[in-house]
Amino acid sequence: MPDGSYERPQQRQFNPYSENGGTILAIAGADFSVIAGDTRQSEGYSIQTRYAPKVFRLTERAVLAVNGFAADGNMFVKKVKQRLEWYRHAHAKDMPLRAIARLIQTMLYAQRFFPYYVYNILGGIEEDGTPSHVSHTALVRAHARAHAHARALTHSASALGTGAVYSFDPVGSYEREACRAAGAAQSLVQPFLDNQIYFKNQTPAPGTNHPTHLPLPDVLSIVIDSFTSATERHIEVGDGLEIYVVLAKGRSTQELASIGGLQELSTRAEGDRMFVIRRDLKKD
Amino acid sequence: MSIMQYNGGSVIAMVGKDCVAIASDLRLGNQSLGISSNFEKIFAMTERTYVGLPGLATDVTTLHEQLRYRLNMYTIKEERTMEPETFIHLVSSTLYEKRWGPYFIEPVLAGMQKTPSGAFRPFVASTDLIGCINFAKDFVVAGTASEKLFGVAEGLWEPDLEPEDLFETISQTLLNAVDRDAYSGWGAVVHVITKDKVVKRTLKGRMD
Repeated sequence: MPDGSYERPQQRQFNPYSENGGTILAIAGADFSVIAGDTRQSEGYSIQTRYAPKVFRLTERAVLAVNGFAADGNMFVKKVKQRLEWYRHAHAKDMPLRAIARLIQTMLYAQRFFPYYVYNILGGIEEDGTPSHVSHTALVRAHARAHAHARALTHSASALGTGAVYSFDPVGSYEREACRAAGAAQSLVQPFLDNQIYFKNQTPAPGTNHPTHLPLPDVLSIVIDSFTSATERHIEVGDGLEIYVVLAKGRSTQELASIGGLQELSTRAEGDRMFVIRRDLKKD
Repeated sequence: MSIMQYNGGSVIAMVGKDCVAIASDLRLGNQSLGISSNFEKIFAMTERTYVGLPGLATDVTTLHEQLRYRLNMYTIKEERTMEPETFIHLVSSTLYEKRWGPYFIEPVLAGMQKTPSGAFRPFVASTDLIGCINFAKDFVVAGTASEKLFGVAEGLWEPDLEPEDLFETISQTLLNAVDRDAYSGWGAVVHVITKDKVVKRTLKGRMD
Protein backbone atom coordinates (compact mmCIF):
# COMPACT_ATOMS: atom_id res chain seq x y z
CA MET A 1 0.00 0.00 0.00
CA PRO A 2 1.36 3.50 -0.83
CA ASP A 3 0.98 4.68 2.77
CA GLY A 4 3.52 2.07 3.98
CA SER A 5 1.07 0.61 6.51
CA TYR A 6 1.68 -2.97 5.39
CA GLU A 7 5.41 -2.69 6.03
CA ARG A 8 5.27 -2.59 9.81
CA PRO A 9 3.18 -4.14 12.61
CA GLN A 10 0.28 -2.08 13.93
CA GLN A 11 -1.49 -2.06 17.26
CA ARG A 12 -5.09 -1.07 17.68
CA GLN A 13 -6.50 0.02 21.02
CA PHE A 14 -9.81 1.31 22.35
CA ASN A 15 -9.65 5.07 22.93
CA PRO A 16 -11.68 5.82 26.06
CA TYR A 17 -11.82 9.56 25.39
CA SER A 18 -13.44 11.71 22.73
CA GLU A 19 -13.61 15.48 22.18
CA ASN A 20 -17.00 17.15 22.10
CA GLY A 21 -15.95 20.73 21.34
CA GLY A 22 -17.65 23.79 22.79
CA THR A 23 -16.35 26.65 24.90
CA ILE A 24 -16.99 27.98 28.40
CA LEU A 25 -16.19 31.26 30.11
CA ALA A 26 -16.57 32.80 33.57
CA ILE A 27 -16.02 36.34 34.85
CA ALA A 28 -16.12 37.50 38.48
CA GLY A 29 -17.41 40.95 39.38
CA ALA A 30 -17.40 42.82 42.69
CA ASP A 31 -20.70 41.34 43.86
CA PHE A 32 -21.68 39.03 41.01
CA SER A 33 -20.34 36.23 38.83
CA VAL A 34 -21.13 35.35 35.25
CA ILE A 35 -20.63 31.79 33.94
CA ALA A 36 -21.39 31.03 30.30
CA GLY A 37 -21.10 28.25 27.76
CA ASP A 38 -22.26 27.57 24.24
CA THR A 39 -24.70 24.70 23.72
CA ARG A 40 -23.21 22.90 20.71
CA GLN A 41 -21.92 19.37 21.17
CA SER A 42 -19.82 17.98 18.32
CA GLU A 43 -17.48 15.15 17.44
CA GLY A 44 -15.08 15.77 14.60
CA TYR A 45 -16.97 17.52 11.81
CA SER A 46 -20.38 16.33 13.01
CA ILE A 47 -22.76 18.09 15.33
CA GLN A 48 -24.21 15.66 17.87
CA THR A 49 -26.71 18.17 19.20
CA ARG A 50 -27.37 21.90 19.05
CA TYR A 51 -28.52 21.97 22.67
CA ALA A 52 -26.48 20.15 25.31
CA PRO A 53 -25.99 22.31 28.43
CA LYS A 54 -22.47 22.59 29.79
CA VAL A 55 -23.21 24.95 32.68
CA PHE A 56 -24.94 23.62 35.79
CA ARG A 57 -26.30 25.05 39.04
CA LEU A 58 -24.75 23.36 42.06
CA THR A 59 -26.15 25.42 44.95
CA GLU A 60 -27.93 28.73 45.47
CA ARG A 61 -24.66 30.49 44.83
CA ALA A 62 -22.40 28.09 42.91
CA VAL A 63 -22.36 27.25 39.21
CA LEU A 64 -20.10 24.71 37.50
CA ALA A 65 -19.21 24.79 33.82
CA VAL A 66 -17.62 21.65 32.36
CA ASN A 67 -15.93 21.23 28.99
CA GLY A 68 -13.92 18.61 27.14
CA PHE A 69 -15.24 15.07 26.96
CA ALA A 70 -18.99 15.40 27.51
CA ALA A 71 -19.52 11.94 29.04
CA ASP A 72 -16.92 12.66 31.73
CA GLY A 73 -18.27 16.20 32.15
CA ASN A 74 -21.83 15.08 32.76
CA MET A 75 -20.80 12.28 35.12
CA PHE A 76 -18.48 14.58 37.03
CA VAL A 77 -21.26 17.12 37.61
CA LYS A 78 -23.52 14.31 38.86
CA LYS A 79 -20.85 13.19 41.33
CA VAL A 80 -20.14 16.74 42.55
CA LYS A 81 -23.86 17.33 43.11
CA GLN A 82 -24.02 14.08 45.08
CA ARG A 83 -21.15 15.16 47.32
CA LEU A 84 -22.82 18.54 47.91
CA GLU A 85 -26.02 16.80 48.92
CA TRP A 86 -24.13 14.62 51.43
CA TYR A 87 -22.47 17.76 52.82
CA ARG A 88 -25.86 19.42 53.24
CA HIS A 89 -27.21 16.41 55.15
CA ALA A 90 -24.12 16.24 57.36
CA HIS A 91 -23.67 19.96 58.10
CA ALA A 92 -27.13 21.51 57.62
CA LYS A 93 -25.74 24.21 55.35
CA ASP A 94 -24.47 24.71 51.81
CA MET A 95 -20.78 24.25 51.06
CA PRO A 96 -18.91 27.57 50.77
CA LEU A 97 -17.57 28.23 47.26
CA ARG A 98 -13.89 27.90 48.21
CA ALA A 99 -14.67 24.55 49.80
CA ILE A 100 -16.44 23.36 46.65
CA ALA A 101 -13.31 24.35 44.72
CA ARG A 102 -11.10 22.28 47.01
CA LEU A 103 -13.57 19.37 46.79
CA ILE A 104 -13.38 19.48 43.00
CA GLN A 105 -9.60 19.32 43.24
CA THR A 106 -9.65 16.18 45.39
CA MET A 107 -12.30 14.53 43.23
CA LEU A 108 -10.28 15.18 40.07
CA TYR A 109 -6.95 14.13 41.56
CA ALA A 110 -8.49 10.90 42.83
CA GLN A 111 -8.62 9.95 39.15
CA ARG A 112 -5.04 11.04 38.53
CA PHE A 113 -4.17 7.85 36.61
CA PHE A 114 -7.33 7.72 34.50
CA PRO A 115 -8.47 11.35 34.52
CA TYR A 116 -11.81 12.95 33.86
CA TYR A 117 -11.06 14.63 30.53
CA VAL A 118 -12.79 17.79 31.65
CA TYR A 119 -11.77 21.42 32.09
CA ASN A 120 -13.89 22.79 34.93
CA ILE A 121 -14.70 26.38 35.74
CA LEU A 122 -16.50 27.05 39.02
CA GLY A 123 -18.16 30.40 39.51
CA GLY A 124 -20.38 32.00 42.10
CA ILE A 125 -20.51 34.09 45.26
CA GLU A 126 -17.91 33.56 47.96
CA GLU A 127 -19.15 33.79 51.54
CA ASP A 128 -19.04 37.04 53.53
CA GLY A 129 -15.80 38.35 54.84
CA THR A 130 -13.48 37.26 52.05
CA PRO A 131 -11.65 40.04 50.24
CA SER A 132 -12.30 40.70 46.60
CA HIS A 133 -9.73 38.83 44.50
CA VAL A 134 -7.14 40.99 42.79
CA SER A 135 -4.37 39.17 40.93
CA HIS A 136 -0.78 39.96 41.86
CA THR A 137 0.02 41.51 38.49
CA ALA A 138 -3.01 43.78 38.82
CA LEU A 139 -1.75 45.01 42.21
CA VAL A 140 1.67 45.78 40.73
CA ARG A 141 0.11 47.71 37.90
CA ALA A 142 -2.17 49.66 40.23
CA HIS A 143 0.83 50.85 42.23
CA ALA A 144 2.87 51.69 39.15
CA ARG A 145 0.24 53.84 37.54
CA ALA A 146 -0.98 56.87 39.46
CA HIS A 147 -3.64 57.76 36.92
CA ALA A 148 -7.35 57.51 37.71
CA HIS A 149 -9.86 56.57 35.04
CA ALA A 150 -12.84 58.90 34.49
CA ARG A 151 -15.20 55.94 34.68
CA ALA A 152 -15.25 55.60 38.48
CA LEU A 153 -17.06 52.52 39.68
CA THR A 154 -19.85 52.83 42.24
CA HIS A 155 -21.23 49.49 43.28
CA SER A 156 -24.01 48.69 45.72
CA ALA A 157 -23.39 49.21 49.43
CA SER A 158 -23.61 45.44 50.11
CA ALA A 159 -20.27 44.08 51.28
CA LEU A 160 -21.75 40.61 51.77
CA GLY A 161 -20.31 38.09 49.35
CA THR A 162 -17.93 38.71 46.45
CA GLY A 163 -17.86 37.26 42.96
CA ALA A 164 -15.37 34.42 42.50
CA VAL A 165 -14.16 32.22 39.64
CA TYR A 166 -12.04 29.09 40.08
CA SER A 167 -10.51 27.27 37.08
CA PHE A 168 -9.18 23.70 37.03
CA ASP A 169 -7.10 21.43 34.84
CA PRO A 170 -8.23 17.82 34.27
CA VAL A 171 -6.27 16.49 37.26
CA GLY A 172 -7.27 19.12 39.79
CA SER A 173 -4.74 21.93 39.67
CA TYR A 174 -6.76 25.05 40.47
CA GLU A 175 -6.56 28.79 40.97
CA ARG A 176 -8.91 31.64 41.77
CA GLU A 177 -9.04 34.25 38.99
CA ALA A 178 -11.07 37.23 37.83
CA CYS A 179 -11.79 35.58 34.50
CA ARG A 180 -11.09 32.44 32.50
CA ALA A 181 -12.09 30.87 29.20
CA ALA A 182 -11.76 27.16 28.47
CA GLY A 183 -12.51 24.76 25.65
CA ALA A 184 -12.16 24.72 21.89
CA ALA A 185 -12.03 28.50 21.50
CA GLN A 186 -9.96 29.21 24.62
CA SER A 187 -7.08 30.51 22.50
CA LEU A 188 -9.46 32.91 20.76
CA VAL A 189 -11.35 34.15 23.81
CA GLN A 190 -8.76 34.36 26.62
CA PRO A 191 -6.55 37.06 24.98
CA PHE A 192 -9.69 39.12 24.30
CA LEU A 193 -10.62 38.84 27.98
CA ASP A 194 -7.05 39.77 29.01
CA ASN A 195 -7.55 43.01 27.09
CA GLN A 196 -11.15 43.79 28.10
CA ILE A 197 -11.26 42.57 31.72
CA TYR A 198 -7.67 42.99 32.92
CA PHE A 199 -6.99 45.96 30.56
CA LYS A 200 -3.67 44.40 29.54
CA ASN A 201 -1.61 46.51 27.12
CA GLN A 202 -3.83 49.49 27.90
CA THR A 203 -2.81 52.57 29.83
CA PRO A 204 -5.57 54.54 31.57
CA ALA A 205 -6.23 58.15 30.59
CA PRO A 206 -3.92 60.56 32.50
CA GLY A 207 -5.34 61.24 35.95
CA THR A 208 -7.52 58.10 36.02
CA ASN A 209 -7.29 54.40 36.91
CA HIS A 210 -8.73 51.31 35.30
CA PRO A 211 -11.77 50.07 37.27
CA THR A 212 -10.91 47.02 39.41
CA HIS A 213 -14.34 45.56 38.70
CA LEU A 214 -16.55 46.17 35.68
CA PRO A 215 -20.31 46.77 35.93
CA LEU A 216 -22.64 43.88 35.07
CA PRO A 217 -23.99 45.20 31.72
CA ASP A 218 -20.39 45.66 30.46
CA VAL A 219 -19.47 42.14 31.54
CA LEU A 220 -22.51 40.66 29.80
CA SER A 221 -21.64 42.52 26.57
CA ILE A 222 -18.08 41.17 26.75
CA VAL A 223 -19.38 37.62 27.26
CA ILE A 224 -21.77 37.84 24.30
CA ASP A 225 -19.12 39.41 22.05
CA SER A 226 -16.63 36.70 23.06
CA PHE A 227 -19.03 33.97 21.96
CA THR A 228 -20.14 35.63 18.72
CA SER A 229 -16.45 36.14 17.84
CA ALA A 230 -15.59 32.54 18.71
CA THR A 231 -18.58 31.30 16.69
CA GLU A 232 -17.33 33.22 13.64
CA ARG A 233 -13.89 31.70 13.64
CA HIS A 234 -14.23 28.27 15.27
CA ILE A 235 -16.36 25.52 13.76
CA GLU A 236 -17.02 23.76 17.08
CA VAL A 237 -18.64 26.84 18.64
CA GLY A 238 -22.19 27.98 17.87
CA ASP A 239 -25.92 27.13 18.00
CA GLY A 240 -26.77 28.67 21.38
CA LEU A 241 -25.42 30.47 24.41
CA GLU A 242 -26.41 30.05 28.07
CA ILE A 243 -25.25 32.65 30.58
CA TYR A 244 -25.73 32.09 34.31
CA VAL A 245 -25.64 35.27 36.41
CA VAL A 246 -25.20 34.93 40.17
CA LEU A 247 -25.80 38.06 42.24
CA ALA A 248 -24.71 38.47 45.85
CA LYS A 249 -27.38 38.90 48.54
CA GLY A 250 -28.69 42.45 48.65
CA ARG A 251 -27.32 43.37 45.24
CA SER A 252 -29.78 45.25 43.05
CA THR A 253 -31.27 43.40 40.07
CA GLN A 254 -32.00 46.71 38.36
CA GLU A 255 -29.29 46.25 35.72
CA LEU A 256 -30.95 43.02 34.54
CA ALA A 257 -34.36 44.64 34.10
CA SER A 258 -33.68 45.56 30.47
CA ILE A 259 -32.47 42.07 29.49
CA GLY A 260 -34.89 40.01 27.41
CA GLY A 261 -35.54 36.33 27.98
CA LEU A 262 -34.23 36.31 31.54
CA GLN A 263 -35.12 33.30 33.68
CA GLU A 264 -34.82 33.33 37.46
CA LEU A 265 -33.51 30.16 39.09
CA SER A 266 -33.34 31.41 42.66
CA THR A 267 -36.36 30.77 44.86
CA ARG A 268 -35.93 33.46 47.52
CA ALA A 269 -35.74 37.18 46.84
CA GLU A 270 -33.79 37.79 50.10
CA GLY A 271 -30.88 35.45 49.35
CA ASP A 272 -28.30 35.28 46.56
CA ARG A 273 -30.08 35.52 43.22
CA MET A 274 -29.40 33.41 40.14
CA PHE A 275 -30.58 34.03 36.59
CA VAL A 276 -30.12 32.39 33.19
CA ILE A 277 -29.94 34.30 29.92
CA ARG A 278 -30.26 32.33 26.68
CA ARG A 279 -29.23 33.62 23.32
CA ASP A 280 -28.94 32.13 19.83
CA LEU A 281 -25.57 31.77 18.13
CA LYS A 282 -24.95 31.15 14.43
CA LYS A 283 -25.72 27.59 13.44
CA ASP A 284 -23.26 27.16 10.56
CA MET B 1 7.45 19.62 16.63
CA SER B 2 6.19 21.51 13.58
CA ILE B 3 8.59 23.33 11.25
CA MET B 4 6.18 26.25 11.13
CA GLN B 5 6.74 26.71 14.88
CA TYR B 6 10.52 26.36 14.87
CA ASN B 7 11.39 30.05 14.80
CA GLY B 8 8.07 31.56 15.93
CA GLY B 9 6.48 34.85 14.96
CA SER B 10 3.12 36.24 13.87
CA VAL B 11 1.69 38.79 11.45
CA ILE B 12 -1.69 40.48 11.02
CA ALA B 13 -3.15 42.85 8.42
CA MET B 14 -6.40 44.84 8.73
CA VAL B 15 -8.62 46.95 6.47
CA GLY B 16 -9.69 50.45 7.48
CA LYS B 17 -11.36 53.47 5.88
CA ASP B 18 -9.14 54.33 2.89
CA CYS B 19 -6.22 52.74 4.72
CA VAL B 20 -4.70 49.40 5.66
CA ALA B 21 -2.40 48.36 8.46
CA ILE B 22 0.01 45.47 8.79
CA ALA B 23 1.78 44.50 12.00
CA SER B 24 4.10 41.84 13.31
CA ASP B 25 6.15 40.83 16.30
CA LEU B 26 9.96 40.94 16.20
CA ARG B 27 10.93 37.61 17.72
CA LEU B 28 13.23 35.06 16.19
CA GLY B 29 13.84 31.97 18.26
CA ASN B 30 15.36 28.54 18.08
CA GLN B 31 12.42 26.68 19.56
CA SER B 32 12.17 27.92 23.16
CA LEU B 33 15.45 29.88 23.03
CA GLY B 34 14.97 33.46 21.95
CA ILE B 35 17.71 34.66 19.62
CA SER B 36 16.71 38.02 18.19
CA SER B 37 14.26 40.71 19.25
CA ASN B 38 14.93 42.59 16.05
CA PHE B 39 13.79 40.19 13.32
CA GLU B 40 11.59 42.14 10.93
CA LYS B 41 9.08 40.07 9.00
CA ILE B 42 7.30 42.83 7.07
CA PHE B 43 8.80 44.05 3.81
CA ALA B 44 7.84 46.93 1.51
CA MET B 45 7.57 45.38 -1.93
CA THR B 46 6.33 48.55 -3.61
CA GLU B 47 5.41 51.98 -2.23
CA ARG B 48 1.89 50.74 -1.49
CA THR B 49 2.31 46.98 -1.09
CA TYR B 50 3.63 45.46 2.11
CA VAL B 51 4.05 41.75 2.70
CA GLY B 52 4.49 39.96 6.02
CA LEU B 53 6.29 36.62 6.02
CA PRO B 54 5.88 34.59 9.24
CA GLY B 55 7.23 31.04 9.48
CA LEU B 56 10.63 29.43 9.05
CA ALA B 57 13.18 32.25 9.22
CA THR B 58 15.47 31.00 6.47
CA ASP B 59 12.47 30.92 4.12
CA VAL B 60 11.48 34.43 5.24
CA THR B 61 14.73 35.73 3.79
CA THR B 62 14.76 33.46 0.71
CA LEU B 63 11.13 34.11 -0.21
CA HIS B 64 11.55 37.84 0.24
CA GLU B 65 14.51 37.79 -2.16
CA GLN B 66 12.63 35.55 -4.65
CA LEU B 67 9.60 37.84 -4.64
CA ARG B 68 11.76 40.94 -4.93
CA TYR B 69 13.49 39.41 -7.97
CA ARG B 70 10.21 38.51 -9.70
CA LEU B 71 8.67 41.87 -8.86
CA ASN B 72 11.69 43.73 -10.25
CA MET B 73 11.55 41.72 -13.51
CA TYR B 74 7.86 42.65 -13.82
CA THR B 75 8.60 46.34 -13.17
CA ILE B 76 11.38 46.38 -15.77
CA LYS B 77 9.31 44.64 -18.45
CA GLU B 78 5.98 46.34 -17.78
CA GLU B 79 7.47 49.75 -16.90
CA ARG B 80 4.89 50.17 -14.16
CA THR B 81 4.41 49.37 -10.49
CA MET B 82 2.77 46.06 -9.63
CA GLU B 83 -0.60 46.36 -7.87
CA PRO B 84 -1.20 44.44 -4.60
CA GLU B 85 -3.88 42.20 -6.13
CA THR B 86 -1.43 41.15 -8.82
CA PHE B 87 1.32 40.69 -6.27
CA ILE B 88 -0.68 38.23 -4.16
CA HIS B 89 -1.15 36.15 -7.33
CA LEU B 90 2.62 36.30 -7.82
CA VAL B 91 3.06 35.06 -4.24
CA SER B 92 0.56 32.28 -4.94
CA SER B 93 2.33 30.98 -8.04
CA THR B 94 5.77 31.26 -6.42
CA LEU B 95 4.57 29.11 -3.52
CA TYR B 96 2.68 26.55 -5.64
CA GLU B 97 5.79 25.98 -7.74
CA LYS B 98 7.16 24.35 -4.61
CA ARG B 99 3.98 22.30 -4.02
CA TRP B 100 5.84 19.08 -3.09
CA GLY B 101 8.60 20.77 -1.08
CA PRO B 102 7.12 24.09 0.07
CA TYR B 103 8.47 27.23 1.65
CA PHE B 104 7.34 27.13 5.29
CA ILE B 105 5.77 30.57 5.20
CA GLU B 106 2.16 31.81 5.33
CA PRO B 107 2.37 35.24 3.68
CA VAL B 108 0.14 38.15 4.67
CA LEU B 109 -0.31 41.14 2.38
CA ALA B 110 -1.60 44.67 2.87
CA GLY B 111 -1.74 47.38 0.25
CA MET B 112 -3.65 50.11 -1.53
CA GLN B 113 -5.07 48.90 -4.85
CA LYS B 114 -5.43 51.43 -7.66
CA THR B 115 -8.95 51.46 -9.14
CA PRO B 116 -9.79 52.32 -12.79
CA SER B 117 -10.97 55.75 -11.64
CA GLY B 118 -7.53 56.50 -10.16
CA ALA B 119 -8.64 56.23 -6.55
CA PHE B 120 -7.24 53.73 -4.07
CA ARG B 121 -9.02 50.83 -2.41
CA PRO B 122 -7.72 49.14 0.76
CA PHE B 123 -6.63 45.56 0.08
CA VAL B 124 -5.56 42.69 2.32
CA ALA B 125 -4.96 39.03 1.46
CA SER B 126 -3.07 36.01 2.70
CA THR B 127 -2.13 32.58 1.43
CA ASP B 128 -1.36 29.23 2.95
CA LEU B 129 2.09 27.73 2.53
CA ILE B 130 1.24 26.31 -0.91
CA GLY B 131 -0.39 29.42 -2.31
CA CYS B 132 -4.15 29.21 -1.73
CA ILE B 133 -5.26 32.85 -1.60
CA ASN B 134 -7.68 34.21 1.00
CA PHE B 135 -9.22 37.52 -0.14
CA ALA B 136 -10.56 38.84 3.15
CA LYS B 137 -12.74 41.91 3.58
CA ASP B 138 -11.75 42.53 7.20
CA PHE B 139 -8.44 41.08 8.38
CA VAL B 140 -5.93 38.28 7.80
CA VAL B 141 -3.68 36.57 10.34
CA ALA B 142 -0.77 34.13 10.26
CA GLY B 143 1.94 32.70 12.48
CA THR B 144 2.24 30.86 15.77
CA ALA B 145 -0.29 33.18 17.44
CA SER B 146 -2.81 32.99 14.56
CA GLU B 147 -5.65 31.54 16.65
CA LYS B 148 -5.16 34.20 19.32
CA LEU B 149 -5.05 36.86 16.59
CA PHE B 150 -8.33 35.57 15.16
CA GLY B 151 -9.99 35.76 18.56
CA VAL B 152 -8.95 39.29 19.47
CA ALA B 153 -9.36 40.68 15.94
CA GLU B 154 -12.88 39.27 15.67
CA GLY B 155 -13.72 40.98 18.95
CA LEU B 156 -12.07 44.36 18.31
CA TRP B 157 -12.36 44.97 14.53
CA GLU B 158 -15.13 46.97 12.99
CA PRO B 159 -15.47 48.37 9.46
CA ASP B 160 -14.35 51.85 8.37
CA LEU B 161 -11.80 52.61 11.06
CA GLU B 162 -9.82 55.81 10.43
CA PRO B 163 -6.01 55.42 10.28
CA GLU B 164 -5.46 56.52 13.90
CA ASP B 165 -8.21 54.20 15.17
CA LEU B 166 -7.02 51.35 12.93
CA PHE B 167 -3.57 51.78 14.44
CA GLU B 168 -4.95 51.40 17.97
CA THR B 169 -7.11 48.42 17.01
CA ILE B 170 -4.39 46.47 15.20
CA SER B 171 -1.89 47.25 17.96
CA GLN B 172 -4.16 45.98 20.74
CA THR B 173 -5.01 42.93 18.65
CA LEU B 174 -1.34 42.07 18.09
CA LEU B 175 -0.11 42.81 21.62
CA ASN B 176 -2.80 40.86 23.46
CA ALA B 177 -2.58 37.91 21.08
CA VAL B 178 1.21 37.53 21.20
CA ASP B 179 1.22 37.88 25.00
CA ARG B 180 -0.58 34.52 25.11
CA ASP B 181 1.90 32.87 22.75
CA ALA B 182 5.30 31.73 23.95
CA TYR B 183 6.79 31.79 20.45
CA SER B 184 5.67 35.31 19.47
CA GLY B 185 6.45 38.70 20.96
CA TRP B 186 9.77 40.28 21.98
CA GLY B 187 8.79 43.55 20.34
CA ALA B 188 6.26 44.65 17.74
CA VAL B 189 6.04 46.87 14.67
CA VAL B 190 3.01 48.41 12.93
CA HIS B 191 2.79 49.94 9.45
CA VAL B 192 -0.25 52.12 8.63
CA ILE B 193 -0.62 52.66 4.90
CA THR B 194 -2.73 55.39 3.31
CA LYS B 195 -2.68 56.66 -0.27
CA ASP B 196 -0.20 59.42 0.61
CA LYS B 197 2.12 57.93 3.21
CA VAL B 198 3.19 54.99 5.29
CA VAL B 199 3.78 55.43 9.01
CA LYS B 200 5.89 52.82 10.76
CA ARG B 201 5.65 52.68 14.58
CA THR B 202 7.37 50.44 17.09
CA LEU B 203 5.14 49.30 19.94
CA LYS B 204 6.09 49.06 23.58
CA GLY B 205 5.15 45.60 24.71
CA ARG B 206 6.11 42.85 27.10
CA MET B 207 9.60 41.50 26.48
CA ASP B 208 9.04 38.14 28.07
